[in-house]
Amino acid sequence: MKALALAWHNVLRNRRRSVVTILIATLGTASMLVAGGFTLYTYDSLREGAARDFGHLTVSHPEFFRRDEEMPLQYGMDGHVALKQRLEAHAHVKRVLPRVNLSGLVSNGEKSMIFMGSGADIAGEAAMRGQFLTLVSGSMPGAGARVPEVLLGVDLARGLSAAPGSVLTLLATTSAGAMNGVDVRVTGTVTTGWHDVDQRLVYLGIDTAQYLLATDKVSTLAVFLDATDATPAVLAELASADPAHGYKPWWEQAFYYQSVRALYNRIFGLLGIVIALLVFFSVSNTLAMAVVERTREIGTLRALGALPGELVAGFVREGALIGLLGSALGMLLAGAVSLSLRHAGLEMPAPPGRTVGYPLYVHADPWLYAACTAAIVALCACAAWLASRKAARLPIVQALAHT
Amino acid sequence: MNDHAPRAAAAAGPPPVILLRGITKHYRLGNSDIPALRGVDLCVPQGAFVAVRGPSGSGKSTLLNVCGLIDSFDAGSYSMSGTDVAGLDERARTLLRRERIGFIFQSYNLVPVMSVADNVDYPLRLLGVAPGARRLRVERMLERVGLSGSGARRPDMLSGGQRQRVAIARALVKTPALVIADEPTANLDSATATQIIALMRELGREHGATFLIATHDERMTTQCDQVLTLTDGVLQ
Ligand SMILES: Nc1ncnc2c1ncn2[C@@H]1O[C@H](COP(=O)(O)OP(=O)(O)OP(=O)(O)O)[C@@H](O)[C@H]1O
Ligand SMILES: [Mg+2]
Repeated sequence: MKALALAWHNVLRNRRRSVVTILIATLGTASMLVAGGFTLYTYDSLREGAARDFGHLTVSHPEFFRRDEEMPLQYGMDGHVALKQRLEAHAHVKRVLPRVNLSGLVSNGEKSMIFMGSGADIAGEAAMRGQFLTLVSGSMPGAGARVPEVLLGVDLARGLSAAPGSVLTLLATTSAGAMNGVDVRVTGTVTTGWHDVDQRLVYLGIDTAQYLLATDKVSTLAVFLDATDATPAVLAELASADPAHGYKPWWEQAFYYQSVRALYNRIFGLLGIVIALLVFFSVSNTLAMAVVERTREIGTLRALGALPGELVAGFVREGALIGLLGSALGMLLAGAVSLSLRHAGLEMPAPPGRTVGYPLYVHADPWLYAACTAAIVALCACAAWLASRKAARLPIVQALAHT
Repeated sequence: MNDHAPRAAAAAGPPPVILLRGITKHYRLGNSDIPALRGVDLCVPQGAFVAVRGPSGSGKSTLLNVCGLIDSFDAGSYSMSGTDVAGLDERARTLLRRERIGFIFQSYNLVPVMSVADNVDYPLRLLGVAPGARRLRVERMLERVGLSGSGARRPDMLSGGQRQRVAIARALVKTPALVIADEPTANLDSATATQIIALMRELGREHGATFLIATHDERMTTQCDQVLTLTDGVLQ
């Protein structure tokens, strides 16, 4: 207690200098926390986004992810209706959605373009994934239409001069290798936020897709859980109970998430190191000045019988106190920043490869706060140790003669 | 223990607090060699009040620093209360100072961010005395130097004479065997200096502490049991 009070009095000794140092520690902590909080928010939203788009788990024919299909649905799944029912009985499983991947040509009668189709339960997908497609024009397909209804990616629609109401022809190879075609009506154009995807995207009902491919198989079943955190446990449980199928978690498919994460880890890791060095040198500098000013005092206390280590410990407490005050203020500042961003509604520019931005939020994660505080305090204590250990070992007579 | 102890014991009961034999010390400044002490022999019995005088540069401070274990010497032997200190490492010398030696400096050297009471308390904290006992001893000590109401004040609120009283309290609170005082009255006016000398003398006797004082002050020398004169690093 006394030792801490003494450290505090020593911090107050040169107020202006200490205030500047504490402010540097404050800004350092705050920028670490804001950058870190933004990174965590980004990871979180990318993770949730990936899990939502792929489904937490993807169930398929065991060869589906291992080999390229030579024929459509060569590695598709039979008996998926029963499997879906079985999976949906699991406590953590909210919903299972069948998906059919297909590709072929889409034609407006004058011009044909390649499409990548997704045969899916569009209403079910929307229920699980929220607004996974942004409608640019028109409406979502309704139920019970006479002519099969589809959604087109905006860029594909532009290429075909198609608009809601247009009738197009889809051509594809059936799973038996024959050519097949079906007329469809466009109900709307959509964007996924990915330009490459929007150029080829056709969303169609699962029945239409199966009709076009002349099959009753599906490519995959997307399994949606009640919580993303439950994925590893449920994966282990389901996969071991059903060796006849392949089970793949979302993170093995979320290459975008993985690469953004690797990139951000590098960027923010570097930023953290730069901030840490800045704080370190600033605190070192302040304490080095304090040590020089107190050289005679150091000599006096050494004469009275203090060991060098005891004096160094005093300076370390002083540095740690500066770090503690700085990081406490930095936490308040970072907290204020995350709170105000929540209400400001700022948008980040679109990341590489995407066409839409995303909201600028900063997570206030307790672990991040604890880790940053610990790092700043340790840094300051370490700077104090380095700054004082030489002076504490100066010959006493020399220290006493210091003016 | 060591070879001086039996001789000292035979001479006067307890061994002398300071027993120097042939102490020499040089300062090296560039290429030149400045002799500061040249074969000093000294025996200071326990409880003595001893002044060292001599012209400026004669080696008084050097002698006190050697005796106070804050500086080393080149040759000779030093037995402190029967302990040979020549062979001690820095840590052992520090612990010996902590336990047995008090210091009074010319410019007081109080810690400005500590209260008067905390300054006096510092040596006891180093010794690990229990807080309750410390408070009592600090209070009593401040009372003895006439500053019983000033414990909570900061040194910079005190006059020079009061600061030196605090320094005396700080030196004596642990009842050291030896107090080293290098020109303790040099920064004080003559009336205050007289009081400070009297106080040191009185408290020295009370605590049974041995004083070794470097001084130019004639008033000091009249108060001392023994006055040594140092010229060019040689004791007369
Ligand atoms: N650190 C040092 N480096 C070099 N020479 C020194 C050092 N300290 C003292 N000396 C020299 O040693 C000699 C003795 O110095 P010392 O300080 O012991 O004298 P003093 O009697 O205390 O003088 P004063 O009365 O001025 O305090 C002097 O010649 C001085 O110049
Ligand atoms: Mg001197």
